Parts: sequence; structure tokens; C-alpha cells
Amino acid sequence: MNLNSRVFAVMKKEFIHILNDKMTLMIVIMLPILQLIIFGYALNMEIQHIDMQVIDYDRTISSNSLIDEFSHSSYFHVESNTSFISNIERYLYSGKAKAILIIPKDFSEMLKRDSQISVQLLIDASDPNSANLIKIYCQAVLSKYNIKHGNIYTMPFTVSHSVWYNPDLKSSYFFVPGILAMLLVMISALLTSIAITREKELGTMEQILVSPIRSWEIIIGKVVPYILLAFIDACLVLLVGMLLFHIPFQGSVLDCTILTLLYIITALSLGILISTIAQTQQTALMFALAITLLPTIMLSGFIFPIRSMPLLLQAVSYIVPAKYYLMIIRGIMIKGNSLSELYVQAIFLLVMSVGMLSIAWKRFKTHV
Amino acid sequence: MRKILYLLQKEFKQIFRTREMLIIIFGMPLIQMLLMGFAVTNDIKHVRMIISDQDHSVYSRNLKDAFLHTDRFDIVGLQTDPNQYAQAIQQWKAQVVLIIPQHFYRDLYRLRQPSLQIIADGLDGNTATIAMGYIDAILTQYALQNQAKLNSFVKPQIHLVQSQERMKFNENLNSSQYMVPGIIVILLTVISLMLSSMNIVREKEIGTLEQLLVTPLKKHQLLLGKLIPFLLLGIFEMLMVLLIAQLIFGIHMQGSYPQLALLSLIFLFTTLGTGLLISTVTSTQQQAMFVSWFVMIFMILLSGLFVPIENMPIGMQRITLINPMRYFIFIMRSIFEKGSSITDLWNAIIPMFSLGTLIFITSVFSFQKRIK
Repeated sequence: MNLNSRVFAVMKKEFIHILNDKMTLMIVIMLPILQLIIFGYALNMEIQHIDMQVIDYDRTISSNSLIDEFSHSSYFHVESNTSFISNIERYLYSGKAKAILIIPKDFSEMLKRDSQISVQLLIDASDPNSANLIKIYCQAVLSKYNIKHGNIYTMPFTVSHSVWYNPDLKSSYFFVPGILAMLLVMISALLTSIAITREKELGTMEQILVSPIRSWEIIIGKVVPYILLAFIDACLVLLVGMLLFHIPFQGSVLDCTILTLLYIITALSLGILISTIAQTQQTALMFALAITLLPTIMLSGFIFPIRSMPLLLQAVSYIVPAKYYLMIIRGIMIKGNSLSELYVQAIFLLVMSVGMLSIAWKRFKTHV
Repeated sequence: MRKILYLLQKEFKQIFRTREMLIIIFGMPLIQMLLMGFAVTNDIKHVRMIISDQDHSVYSRNLKDAFLHTDRFDIVGLQTDPNQYAQAIQQWKAQVVLIIPQHFYRDLYRLRQPSLQIIADGLDGNTATIAMGYIDAILTQYALQNQAKLNSFVKPQIHLVQSQERMKFNENLNSSQYMVPGIIVILLTVISLMLSSMNIVREKEIGTLEQLLVTPLKKHQLLLGKLIPFLLLGIFEMLMVLLIAQLIFGIHMQGSYPQLALLSLIFLFTTLGTGLLISTVTSTQQQAMFVSWFVMIFMILLSGLFVPIENMPIGMQRITLINPMRYFIFIMRSIFEKGSSITDLWNAIIPMFSLGTLIFITSVFSFQKRIK
């Protein structure tokens, strides 16, 4: 009873802190939603309307119909040029075109005569991923042209594609859960990273230390209020994501709640741990930011597939909490995974939280 | 002038007072640069694949082998039961399944054009698209190679239009060549924007701002004293990460360094101005941190670093026009990869410079107003 009331006292104090600082509270509630809306629309890996310059040296009906095939596809925005051009590559240098298609002079004749006719394609490869996609799209347009004109080499077999979970290959299915994972870890870690440092810097820590509160009670009391705050954020972001981007929710709400809480606790523990190490609020916040911002964007599978990375980095990714939560939230929402399929991820998060909290507690006892 | 020097001395002492700060300013960017530079590969490799061979013929076995000798795919299973491979996809154990149906070879032989089936996990649309593209390419190549064996029953090919691609600027499609210049910009922004945004608000929070205000320092001197340290740090930071980019990632620099330096200075004014502005409108370091965090995420994700701006909806593309980082990343990439010079880049330099001036003037005004 006595023990409970002490933890509650710290919690209450922390709550008052949160409610007093209206600006931070507003930022913490509003920013995630704003970010989700912006990025849900902005993050899109599908390329459309690639600027393409066609240089047609042939100028016949055949070459025209090939150009039409490109301009009628939604992938390309075609501008064609029939006059002689001395320096073709300047289109790429100036960024006016991402790809240049060059149709040779005797294209229509070759089309009658040869079994294989080459058109040249110059691609701006300064962005390798886009270059790859442009190449794939071009080949798709060409094979459509071939089929239409009966030029096709008949494959002995056909290939049918089916895409599960996300048949339209919408990027938002991939990114919206990812944004949630990123927002949660950053908000949580930033919030708690100064929880203890702030008291040190402002000199109020000594007042707490002379009170009968034990160190683990301070740690727990400082973490719990933020769980609630971060959880409200999670719900808001999920709700906006589902309403605005029509992300499905296949799994169970209970599983999602449990695992989201676990992830929030992991992130808050990370913040508390930083808080016991850093001397000033400034360094605490910078540490929290450095540890969460880029690793969460880059090493968690948020954008780049982990399996494509060098082995050493794949190993590093195991200590990024967002990696596990990304699988959890994408799995639950889109694949309909249940807790029994995600227990490995849950265990990793649990071990991390317990580990970080106990180190924080040890450090707090000895260093503060 | 001398007064400013004293202030500078104070600021630098304050910045480097703790060892932690040294780690943040010098160690963190180094580690991040190393991690990120290697992490950002846009290559899709080691996609986990199940080949479900329900035919068990020589032809299907050879087809299977065609997928063994590539690092694009890791064969993780040969399940033939639909329930089993469905479960494997559901449980993240496989991303694509290639199904070779029963009687595939027999139908092939009878010219019935049997159908192979590819199932892909569409969760990561980009990976799925590219992986299916790879599979199609391997299958087509396999069909062509084995044409001789099947020659008796394949129609002759006629007039096939193909493309011959040439990759310009980055022939090997090396991702780090593209990403590292962008990461340099992020690291530069993190340090200059974050540190400057927390600087003045810190003095407010701890109560030392009043002490500064009663000293004979003039406002502009105070402002300079607060900005110059971070400008110097930013320049130093830039040099350090550029060195790493050259030495460790072997990034080719096609353009000129003096021009890069000049443009970096302009960019630093936009980030320092933003930092100063945040610092004057907030009242605690935590608030400053949250605001600058938001501004940074906004700048990073809408800069075209990870996702090309052309892919965004038109409305979003308009919003990116007010993002200084968008211009600087474009400039960095152009200078590094294409060797563009200032004369090629006016389109980006003018908006970046105007934004920088605007932000800077606003922040100076707001600073003077707050400090009265």
C-alpha cells in the first residue's frame, strides 16, 4: 500500500508536468498525425510520368506506333524530337529527361527484315532504384508493342502473377505502418530521455533523492505516464491511417494493443536509459535523436529491405526495436498475423525492455 | 569585436564542456555515416523463394536449378502443398513462390502453353515488383536457352523489338554513389539545426539569458556569438564526412570543391536560421527538440533522399518547394554524380538562397523581439 502510493506520487507529479507544458503536449499529439498525413501521401515508390525524350531517326508509321505505345502508357511522359541532335546526353545532364529512347534510321526496314531489332535506351542512373524501375517499365511497354504487332517470340509457357495482401502494390500499405513504428519510438525515447536529466539539470533531483522514494519507484513512476501518452498517439495514428489511407486491419485488436504497448515500453526504456547516462538535457536529446532517427529509418526495414544489406549491418539491425515492431504491425494489420506467429519478435522486445530498464536502474542507483 | 571573441570563447567552452558533446559532434556522425552508407542499398537481394515443383520432370528440375545460382533469390523451401506455402508467406518465411504445375512438361510438349504461377507477398510493393521482374527475366532466358531442346514444338520467332539499355552517370547502379551525398546533407543538418535550436532556449530555461542581457553586449553581437560557433562546427562536420565519403566509400567527386563549399555555406544559413527561429519561439529544450525533430523529419522525407519527388502527388511536390534540403540534396547529387557546375544549377540555387535569406531575416527579427 505504502509502496504503491510512492510510485503513484511520482506518476502524479510527472502527469502534472506533462499537463503543464501545453506546447509539448500539443506537439506530441498533433505532430504525429500531421506527419502521417504528409508522408502517407508523399512516400510512393511507384514512378509515374517519367520524362522521356524520344529521338526518332526513322520517322515512319512503324516508329510512330512505337512512340505511341510509350506515350499511351501511364509510366512515361513522352516528348519526341525528329530533328538531328548533336548532343543527346545534354537532356540527361539538365535533368529534362530521365530516359532517352533512340529509334535508329532504318527501324521500319529492320522490322520487316530482322528477327531482332534494337532500339537504344539511355537511362539516367544517378538514382539506381529508379533506373532499374524505368528499365523494367520500358521492357513492359516494348513487350506490349511486340504482342500487339504479332512480333512476339512465343514463349513455350506463360507466367501468371498473383500478388497477395496488396494486389494493387500500394506503397501506403508498406509505409503507413512504418511511419507508426518510427513515430512511436522517437516520441517515446525523446519524452523520457530528459525525464531524469531534467531534474539533474534544474537541480530538483536532490529534492527527490532526500524523499523516501526508492530508485526503481522513480524509474517506474517516470515511465508509466508516458506509456499512456504514447499509446494515445498510436491509436490516433492508426485511426487516421485506416480512415485516410484505407489500410486494412486484418488481425486482432487485442494482439495489436498488447504488442504496441510492449513496443512503447521498449522505446521508453531506451529513453530512460539515455536519461541516466546523459549529463545535460541537450546531450540527452541529441543521443535519443541519433539513436532513434536514422537507424529507425534505415536499419529497420522501414524503407530498405534488411536482407539486401551487408551481413554486418543485418547483425546490427537486431538491436533496432523498430525492426521487430515493423514486422508486428505490418503482420497484424495487413497479413492478419496473430500473437502466436509473432512471439519471437515479442520476446526480443521484452528482453530489450527488461535489459535496458535494469541497466537504467543500476546506473541510477550508483550514479545519481 | 573583442566582445564577440569573449562570447565565442564562452560558447565553445560550453559546447565542449562535456565529453558527451564531443561524442555527439564527432563520433555520432562518423558511426552514422558508416552504418547508413552501407545500409542504403536499393538492390533487392536474397529474396526468400519457394519453388513448388508439382511436375517433377527433367525440365522442371532444370528450371529450378536456374534459380539456384543467383544471389537475388534464396530458395527456402520446395513445398508442394498450397497450404504449406501459403503459411510460409503468412509467417514471413517466404516472399515469393514459383509454382510449376502438374503435367507441365507434358503440356509443354503438346504445345498447350502451360502456365507457371508466381505468388508474391505484396506487402513491400517495391520488392515484389522488382523480384517478379527478376523471375520473369530468368524464366525468359531459360526458355530461350532451352529452345534447342524444345525446338520441334516452338514457333519460330519473328521481328522482336528489344531495348538496349545504357546506364548513364552510374553504370554499375551503385547505390552509395547516390545515397552518400544525401546522407552528408542529413548529418550536416542534424548537427547545425539541432544544436543551434537548443542553444538560446537553454539559456532561457536555466535562467542565464538574463545574465547575458545585462552585459554590455549589443544584440547583434550576441546573435553573432550564438551563430558563429555552429557555423564553424557545421563547416568542420562537412569536411569530416566528405573525407569519409572519399576514403571509405570511394565516392567519385565529379564537380568542383570550391563551388560545393560555397553552396554548403548557403545551405548552412538556412539550417542555422531555422534553428535560431525555433530557439526563440520555444521555452524549453524539450519543446525545441520536438519542433526541430518535426522540421527535420519533414525536411528529410520530403527532400527526395529516399523517395524521388517526382513520385509524389502534385500537391506534395508543391510543398517540397519550401524545403531547403530538397534543393541542397539535388545540388549535392548533381555536383557529385554529374559534375554539374553553379551555372547548371541556378534552378536550385536561387530558391535555396531566397529561402535561406527569408528564414534568416525572420529569425533575426524574432530574436530581437524576444530578447527585449
